[in-house]
Amino acid sequence: MSAAARDPIEVVRDEMAMHAPIRRALADGPHTIPELAQALGRPAREVLVWVMGMRRYGEVEPVGEAGSDGYVRYRAIQGAGR
Amino acid sequence: MSYDALVVGGGISGMESAITLGDMGYRVLVVEKQASIGGTMILLSKVFPTLDCASCIATPKMAATVHHPNVTVRTLAEVEAIEPTEDGRFQTRIRSRARFIDEALCTGCSLCETACTVAVPDQFNAGLIGRRAAYIPFPQAVPKKAVIERAGTSPCTAGCPAGIKAHGYVALVRSGRYESAYELVLEATPLVGSLGRTCYAPCETACTRNQLDGPVAIRRLKRFVADRHLAPEPASPPAPDPGGGRVAVIGAGPAGLTCAWQLARSGHRVTIFEASSEPGGMLRWGIPDYRLPPAVVAADVANVTRLGVEIRTGVRIDDPVALRDRGYDAVCIATGTPVAAALPVAGAELDGVTDALTFLRQAKLDAAPDLVGRSVAVVGGGNVAIDAARSARRLGAARVRVVSLERRDAMPAYPWEVDDAESEGVELHGGWGIAGFVGDRRVLAVAPRRGTEVVDATGRFAPRYDDQVTRQVDADLVVVAVGMTRDDSPLAQLVPTEPQVAPLADPQTLATAVPGLFAAGDVVTGPSMITTAVGQGRRAAAMIDSLLRGRPADAAAFDRQLPAVDPAEVLGRQRRHTERPALAARAIDPAPLGFAELEPPMSEAEALQATGRCLDCGVCSECHACIEACPADAIDLGQADEVESMTVGTVVLATGFRLFAADHKPQYGYGRFANVVTGMEMDRLLAPTRPYDTLLRPGDGRVPERIAYILCTGSRDQQVGNPLCSRICCMYSIKQNQLLMGALPLADVTVFTVDVRAAGKGYEEFYVQAEAMGATFVRGRVAQIEETATGDLLCHYEDLEGGGARQAEFDLVVLAVGVLPNPDAHRLFPDGQLRLDAQAFVDEVDRDLDPGRTSVPGVFVAGTAAGAKDIPEAILHAGSAAAQAAAHLERIGPDR
Repeated sequence: MSAAARDPIEVVRDEMAMHAPIRRALADGPHTIPELAQALGRPAREVLVWVMGMRRYGEVEPVGEAGSDGYVRYRAIQGAGR
Repeated sequence: MSYDALVVGGGISGMESAITLGDMGYRVLVVEKQASIGGTMILLSKVFPTLDCASCIATPKMAATVHHPNVTVRTLAEVEAIEPTEDGRFQTRIRSRARFIDEALCTGCSLCETACTVAVPDQFNAGLIGRRAAYIPFPQAVPKKAVIERAGTSPCTAGCPAGIKAHGYVALVRSGRYESAYELVLEATPLVGSLGRTCYAPCETACTRNQLDGPVAIRRLKRFVADRHLAPEPASPPAPDPGGGRVAVIGAGPAGLTCAWQLARSGHRVTIFEASSEPGGMLRWGIPDYRLPPAVVAADVANVTRLGVEIRTGVRIDDPVALRDRGYDAVCIATGTPVAAALPVAGAELDGVTDALTFLRQAKLDAAPDLVGRSVAVVGGGNVAIDAARSARRLGAARVRVVSLERRDAMPAYPWEVDDAESEGVELHGGWGIAGFVGDRRVLAVAPRRGTEVVDATGRFAPRYDDQVTRQVDADLVVVAVGMTRDDSPLAQLVPTEPQVAPLADPQTLATAVPGLFAAGDVVTGPSMITTAVGQGRRAAAMIDSLLRGRPADAAAFDRQLPAVDPAEVLGRQRRHTERPALAARAIDPAPLGFAELEPPMSEAEALQATGRCLDCGVCSECHACIEACPADAIDLGQADEVESMTVGTVVLATGFRLFAADHKPQYGYGRFANVVTGMEMDRLLAPTRPYDTLLRPGDGRVPERIAYILCTGSRDQQVGNPLCSRICCMYSIKQNQLLMGALPLADVTVFTVDVRAAGKGYEEFYVQAEAMGATFVRGRVAQIEETATGDLLCHYEDLEGGGARQAEFDLVVLAVGVLPNPDAHRLFPDGQLRLDAQAFVDEVDRDLDPGRTSVPGVFVAGTAAGAKDIPEAILHAGSAAAQAAAHLERIGPDR
């Protein structure tokens, strides 16, 4: 799973560039981190960092509690982002 | 202001010592290197064994510290040196790092954070999430003021002669803010599209990424934003500032247009006088259309006229000084270098011998000679020569030969231009000087002779030739491109008596010898890059604005910026860099025809790929998004560090501890396996201000159900050089066990430990309580962790209670990392004065009877700087250190 783990600084740095792709991926409704990872073709560990960064600055929000699969779904906040 | 006591460190121990000393009536200075006080405690979830909220009990202490009448707190500050003096006091040097925020104005609203375009790991969340370069450390920060993290000026920005914030617009593009990126370039120059195509990109030469896999395509990103820029509908220009002046600019090239643009933005009324029929200077007449289409220049010029600048074309000014008599308060001469240098050799007057400026202008006007199937010789090795040669190919010349004094690898033209010219079929003949041109009325050939030297020992241009080695290059047209000079005729009153040595204008202020007259661009510097001319235009505008506003010209302020970041420092921030190749080079047509633009526009995907390669060298990109967002106008990127020296009577060292680096136990996979975390990371995950919305494992965002703890990671471990018990790991792990089981009632928590050390009031009961809640304590040592395909973790361990080698699978593993000494305190004193113990904690010379006293009389240690402690112990120790410090102050008496 982590064989190609990138340097954490590099992963965080990519967050700004990933906002738009993540918003696009969330345009059709809420998704879990693994679902977003699949849509973006990026590792889930990296997608989590980016989505949580977006959550922190008010661009996405969780939808309820974790489901039976153990994953929370996230949605884009309308009107947020640039 | 003077202080009795200096407390180094604003964590729980430092705060306790400061408050205690302050209560006794001493004046105390607390110096904290982070942007907030609170230390580690404020970042914890809860404290053991009471399970009180750490924030709830730490924030009153933080508030009491900053509001104490006898305590002054300096955050984002560092003590650089402490020197004992003969009277028992200490001479100290303290550096307060610039916040780049006016603390008095900042309201802590966080809008700068939200606007910021740079993400960096958040050290206050153990790196589990990003924060912004503009940031407030955490919600309970004291002071709750923003900081802008700046490591220096990014090399790309520092390398731009035009003063364009290159890193800034790259970061804005990365954030999808294309129009903001365009506007950021506009802060320096109106020539966004032109520079995006023709700049020779010193920013890319300086780019740190050159040392990895090639520079970020910074220039093309500028073109990208220019291509996407939606020009507003023509509107009435803004009304000039009534306090502004009236300025004449002579010449509508890059320097003149930029100067006029900047002056108009500052509220002045500007008129440009341009001798030719259209504005643009070399952009319009010197650069071939395949590099810079005229429509792009026109769009850039429209930026200038949109601000109300009047451009009068076809007007030649022969007497700039007289313009002042026509009501202009200031004049800027930006006439460039429009005169082609002649080559004084035989045959230079023949028909068919022309200069490059004339030839390029003819090509722009579709008035060039018919070259189809003909031979062209271009004399010269600079960029203009290459432009002429490539233009000749586009005009149908069958054979184009560039004859240059310099050999190919030393030609002044940029290497990529030379490469592209060759790819287009231009032949290069380097190392030849021109003996003359051969022909009878009309040129037939160039007669080169072998050049042996170009410059002399001092580097001065002094070509030498071997006249025995000659040849002949047939040519129907010869284009001479051996330099350009300024036109001195309108500068009669301004040109110094020795024009070869004396500059036309002061290089800093660009003021000429005539008051109110300035000069900028190539007319001052000689032929240069467009971006250099733009920088000159900016500078002239700033100086003229100062003159017209009655302020002294401050060239130093104009040039002021943080030093460029060392690329080695940038590369050293990461342990590894993923290779991210630059954009593929475009294909070159070996037989180009016509002058259609050669370089294709960048797609949005290419632009994002390019910006993703930026290393954010300066951290803050200077994109100015925070300035735009701040409602309090509190951003001040001009701030600088302040260093002050002061004498204090006593010093309390409360520099805290550092945690064991978990990747030093590679068998546990920390840093490789996403779901192996440290105890501090788990504390952040459990805290009310946690990085995630709920408790998730970092590998994939799943709520963990099987969680393991490995105690003594990096403690009591000779293999990593730390035989000591860290004293807090057992208890913080048990605390987390209880919090986990409270948050995740169905979770299984397993603790691998050799033994549990619960020596403290209520600690044993706390341990028993965790067991009763369901935590499983296994007496065993984990030897190895493996990661499964799903990111789960297989722990191989030895069951010390007779089970032998076993394994168990978990969703998440927490490494209870130990406490190590912080080396900061030792560095503050002259060599060897501050004694350390065997583990490099600050040594207490008589720990039994005189706790807190160090080897330096008058210096005391508080809290974990002296060794591992839990919070109550640290607070007690800090109180003791304060009492010792007070006694010392009484002994030495008041500072006279």
